[in-house]
Amino acid sequence: MKTFPAIFIALAFAGNIFAADVAADFTAANQLYAKGKFSDAAASYEKILQTGAVSPTLFFNFGNAEFKSGHLGKAIAAYRHAEQLAPRDAELRANLAFVRNQVQGVTQRESFWQNWVGTLTLNEGAVLTAILFWLTLALFSARQIRPTLVPKLKSATWIFITLTLFSGTVLGLQAANHFSAACAVVTTDNATARSGPFDDAQSAFTARDGAELSVLDWRDGWVQVMDANGKSGWLSAKLVEVLPGA
Amino acid sequence: MAFEGGPDKLLFSLSPDKKIVNISGSCLSYFWPDKKMLVKLKILIGLIAVVLLNGTAFAASFTATLDRDTLMLGDSATLSLAFEGGQPQTTPTPRVPGLQIVNSGNSQNFSYINGAMSSTVTVTFSVTPQRAGEFVIPALAADVNGQRLVTEPLKLTVQTAAAPSAAAVNSGSEIAFLKLTLPQKKIYSGETVVGQIELCLRDDVQNFGNFQFSGTPADGFQIGKMAQGSNRRTQIGNRVYTIVPISIALTAVKSGALTLGPFTANAVVVLPSQNQGGDPFFGRFFNQGEQRQVSLTSEEISAEALPLPNENVPVDFNGAIGNFSLNVSAGPTNLTVGDPVTLRVQISGRGAFDAVSLPTQNSWHDFKAFPPTAKVETHDQFGLQGSKTFEQIVSPQNADVHELPAFSFSFFNPDDGKYHTLTQPATPLQIHSAGSTVLPTVAGNKNANSETPATPKDILPIKENLGTVTKSSAPLISSPVFFAAQSLPVLAFLAAFVCRKRADNLANNPRLRRQRAVAQLVRDGVNDLRKFATENKPDEFFATLFRLLQEQLGERLDCPATAITENVIEEHPILRTAPKATLDGLRELFQLCNQARYAPVRGSSELNSVAAQFEKVVGELQNLKA
Repeated sequence: MKTFPAIFIALAFAGNIFAADVAADFTAANQLYAKGKFSDAAASYEKILQTGAVSPTLFFNFGNAEFKSGHLGKAIAAYRHAEQLAPRDAELRANLAFVRNQVQGVTQRESFWQNWVGTLTLNEGAVLTAILFWLTLALFSARQIRPTLVPKLKSATWIFITLTLFSGTVLGLQAANHFSAACAVVTTDNATARSGPFDDAQSAFTARDGAELSVLDWRDGWVQVMDANGKSGWLSAKLVEVLPGA
Repeated sequence: MAFEGGPDKLLFSLSPDKKIVNISGSCLSYFWPDKKMLVKLKILIGLIAVVLLNGTAFAASFTATLDRDTLMLGDSATLSLAFEGGQPQTTPTPRVPGLQIVNSGNSQNFSYINGAMSSTVTVTFSVTPQRAGEFVIPALAADVNGQRLVTEPLKLTVQTAAAPSAAAVNSGSEIAFLKLTLPQKKIYSGETVVGQIELCLRDDVQNFGNFQFSGTPADGFQIGKMAQGSNRRTQIGNRVYTIVPISIALTAVKSGALTLGPFTANAVVVLPSQNQGGDPFFGRFFNQGEQRQVSLTSEEISAEALPLPNENVPVDFNGAIGNFSLNVSAGPTNLTVGDPVTLRVQISGRGAFDAVSLPTQNSWHDFKAFPPTAKVETHDQFGLQGSKTFEQIVSPQNADVHELPAFSFSFFNPDDGKYHTLTQPATPLQIHSAGSTVLPTVAGNKNANSETPATPKDILPIKENLGTVTKSSAPLISSPVFFAAQSLPVLAFLAAFVCRKRADNLANNPRLRRQRAVAQLVRDGVNDLRKFATENKPDEFFATLFRLLQEQLGERLDCPATAITENVIEEHPILRTAPKATLDGLRELFQLCNQARYAPVRGSSELNSVAAQFEKVVGELQNLKA
């Protein structure tokens, strides 16, 4: 029973582990951004991210710097990384929507249910479901230990069973979306998708910088993608950044 | 209904007066029991047999026919092999160099004419010539009903498509023909012109359909959209023709000599039928017409594409050809370094809008330019007249910028053969350094007083507070520890469930409850016995011993403890199954208890040995099946 509190303690305090180390670099990158040196700022943010530290703010600022540097695809990728950590951040959503509006050509958008289940992060969904599951089983156990409490706990038990099932279903959808609905964001000006995973293959379609495409398959440094019109083709993995589902 | 007779002669009786002798006779005699009727039937069957034999005995024939003897290169003819009066053992397939002959299906037809029945098997082939010339499909042989049959050779003339001569057109002998025209013979490379192809139909053509181009060769031209115009009638030579104009957008894609055509097409025309006699006046109204497939070929047209002049080429010319006007707007003009300015460039006029792109502005080095978006709106059916609107986001890179530089767009006008440059003057800008100005309007800001949501003009600024930083890690649900932790409440619930079941079980089983209570009592009692033995208190020792013996035996024998005496050992049926040593031990313990009331005081060691003996006997009793 000591594991459960330990997980919560870890979740609550893990965020501060790297904060002290990256705070100085973060401030320096912000200063570069304020001076209008967006490319340098983007490089600084990326350097921090390469240390393994992640934070929604870090990704948000990185996305801003990439956008100001003219890299729509990289900006969208950064914002989407941030969105997975802070899905309810209004400023983040505003910037992501703004940059997406600058993208030319067809691009994939999340469906309604993907947006809906994306309101919580995957970890938030997992913890919420775990709490409801534990409380439900605590009620079950209490009914076994004290049978006299059964009538009093009847309503609460049903409520918690319903909440647990609902939360579990949402978590399942989140997990399916995260692990199976991968997305590729084009990070170059014009990426030519080919009919096969090799350079000499016939051109299938061209995706513009920032276009978001569904990932269908991977093979030897090539990603098979499908655009919003249902056209599929193979893009070199160097031309895209592949993100997990929302 | 009954069966009679042996296994080799079954008589099937439906009624007493109708006997059935054999299968065929039985059925017939059932329906026609009258002998005269039976005779008539036999005659009828004989006649049918004669007729059938007559049909089958009809002489077999094998013929080969072509649906036409002349066709144009690109068209197909149909070769039919007909086998009448029998079926071939194998169907011959003709092979002629220069002709592609492919089986296109089989059919069978039965006919009965004047008492003679015949069957015809027809095998059809599609014949497609691969070159022009005279061809002969050789005689074909096939075995039909044991006869060797041979067809006649067939001639086929394949002609190259060619436009009809002026004499043929003027004489009115051409039912339909194509006429191709270009508005000008000299055009500039990249220029788009509208050519016209006219389908001319003679006045006696009642209707036409299935018009389809079979070839549109255009060397040096890119064929664009086609549009059909309004029909008109005109006199050509001796006949009046209906003209169906089709306009085609043509773009010269290279300089030098260009050729267009000959265009070829197929159509089905309906002509007045020649076989419907009667009054010509009524025939005009009631003549249903005769469909005829016609192949049409236009003449070939030559043109010359001139290269664009090399003199006075503007620096920013990027291939736009036509006649255009320019309209440029930009906003906002009061902004911070890095903020976006939306540049809207509208190029209107006539020309090939596909080739119009936003020119690179070399003097805009202080601006970061994002890829432009383009939207074309055309007003004519060829997409040549209209406007193309570009929207481009540019952002100033430093606070020293004071204006959006002048915007220029150059194009080549083929009408006057000159280059033109349109220039929009510079747009003043007020640029503030980052952090010193009011933040631009943002999507996240909600103004309760405004009726319409503000349209964001830029992204929201960066955040100064780093917030929570974590190490990049896999999601919790992919962690084995997280999943293992979920088993803890399940285990707790199972433990509670087991406890509950055990408590329920005990509550519903008084014997088990007594067994456990006595076991506890005995455990406590043994301790008391050891204590009394150590303290050398024989009275308390034996009183306790006797009570423990009563309790243990009472529990084993399921009777009250107070009812237990030494006699129970001999009388109770359960104890009869106990080992003799156990029973002897019990007797001895009971006797010791009885003796203690009269015997002198015993020592501690003797009491301890009695306690040990009690423990041994009780252990054996507890193993005894109750």
